[in-house]
Amino acid sequence: MENTDFINLLKDNGQFSDTSSVQVDVSKDVEHTEGTTILAVRYRAGVLVAGDRRATMGNTVVYDRADKVVSVDDQSVLALSGSPANAYEIARMLEISFQHYRRSQLQEMSLDGKLRTLSRLIRENLSMALQGIGVVVPIYATYDSAHDDGAKGGGKIFFYDVLGAAFESVDFCTTGSGSHLIRGALYFLNRWGGKGFAEMDFDEVLSIALKLLETAAEYDTGTGGYKPETQIFPQIMQVTDEGIETVLDSHLQSIYETQLH
Amino acid sequence: MLDEPYRWVEAIRNRREYLEDQLKSASPVVAQQYENGILLLTSTPGPRKIFEIYNQIAFAAVGHPTDIEKLRKAIIDIAHVEAFNLSARDVSLHRLVSFGIGPMMKTAFDEIFQSPYIARVLVAQLDANDDDETFYTIDEDGSFSCAGEMATVGGGADSKKVIMESASFDNNQTLEQALDRAIRAWAVGRLYSEGREPENAPTNEEILERITTTLDSHQRFDAALLDRSLPKKTKFRLLPKVELDGALERLRT
Repeated sequence: MENTDFINLLKDNGQFSDTSSVQVDVSKDVEHTEGTTILAVRYRAGVLVAGDRRATMGNTVVYDRADKVVSVDDQSVLALSGSPANAYEIARMLEISFQHYRRSQLQEMSLDGKLRTLSRLIRENLSMALQGIGVVVPIYATYDSAHDDGAKGGGKIFFYDVLGAAFESVDFCTTGSGSHLIRGALYFLNRWGGKGFAEMDFDEVLSIALKLLETAAEYDTGTGGYKPETQIFPQIMQVTDEGIETVLDSHLQSIYETQLH
Repeated sequence: MLDEPYRWVEAIRNRREYLEDQLKSASPVVAQQYENGILLLTSTPGPRKIFEIYNQIAFAAVGHPTDIEKLRKAIIDIAHVEAFNLSARDVSLHRLVSFGIGPMMKTAFDEIFQSPYIARVLVAQLDANDDDETFYTIDEDGSFSCAGEMATVGGGADSKKVIMESASFDNNQTLEQALDRAIRAWAVGRLYSEGREPENAPTNEEILERITTTLDSHQRFDAALLDRSLPKKTKFRLLPKVELDGALERLRT
């Protein structure tokens, strides 16, 4: 059977950037761009995915408008923490792999197939990750439509470790340098906040996500907060049965002004 | 023996005749612009003949189903590698054809100890950089040509000519108008490829009868759009059966 896989196709053409032979002298203390807080929360209609916009290199802020939440197809979103260069490359390869599969095989790749493709890409990046540069640990959020076998549809959140293992989060997930500052708060709110995230509407989880990103930004230098003077807002996407929608900056501004002042 | 020039020319001529013969009964593909993009239409006994290649690029072909699949896979691969290495905007019809499947089909045609592709291909791009490069057609020997408002591939040269004459050149037509005209143009082309004399234009009744015969003989019409108004990256969509049935019903009444 002909090669149906986009990653193998790139390898056959000699166009896959193989980093397994890259050797880095870690004693030289290479500074790399990273630092992030991203989080995904499962609510009533799907999944909310949020990310701050700051990119740092050591103690220096290098960019304040980084896009860390990217859509990879009509139904799924990748939130990236770690080295942006490798993270963007993985997101790009993932998006084109899904498109290539759908167009050549005339069917959508299954959720398991998509998760596996992302695992493979993270594994390909292993030698870089083991040397301490180019670590990528994304969150993959998607809406799994109802199946014929009776399985109900719903929002799903998966996170990965450095070796490429995928784990499903039931209610929420957060990664990046600021994540440890808000993970406890997420747990607390979900369990004792009066109402679980799964029972909430989008506006309720949106307000919580923005407040938690501000909390992370307060204590983590790698996470950027809301700056009214430069009009930089976090990136928020909602993944539902209807597809992916990005929340407009103007809407975020009104929430900051009314609920987060 | 083939190292003699005459033998080689003869072998190529035989091959051309063989391909012509294999393809002469093909049901044509008609493609034209309408107000929201591009419509492609054909009939088929089963396998799909119109496909999505990239966000704004569609592919249709007549010929042997396996060869169609090989060419479709090849052009999809080239488009996606291109999109990965450069960007989505760099995937253009012109380059896919003139550096991709054009040379591929030509090489297969010239290699007389290998089998050629038994196929003719039509590709279309929504909002191409150059208006005249909206459509490309590639013949079985790899020669290609481009067009701006409409294009067709099918059985013989005669049927191509009459299809071009009977379809419309109106970019502002609605989808319904484009569908009606495309189906009629398809039927005219089909009649000529089945041996009708070029000077003997078919009547309206004959056109409708040809459409009915197709539907009664377990064939179906297959149509797809490159639709500018789709709110997604990909602009390709197959036309649902209800819309096609609606057009067929309009023609009959």
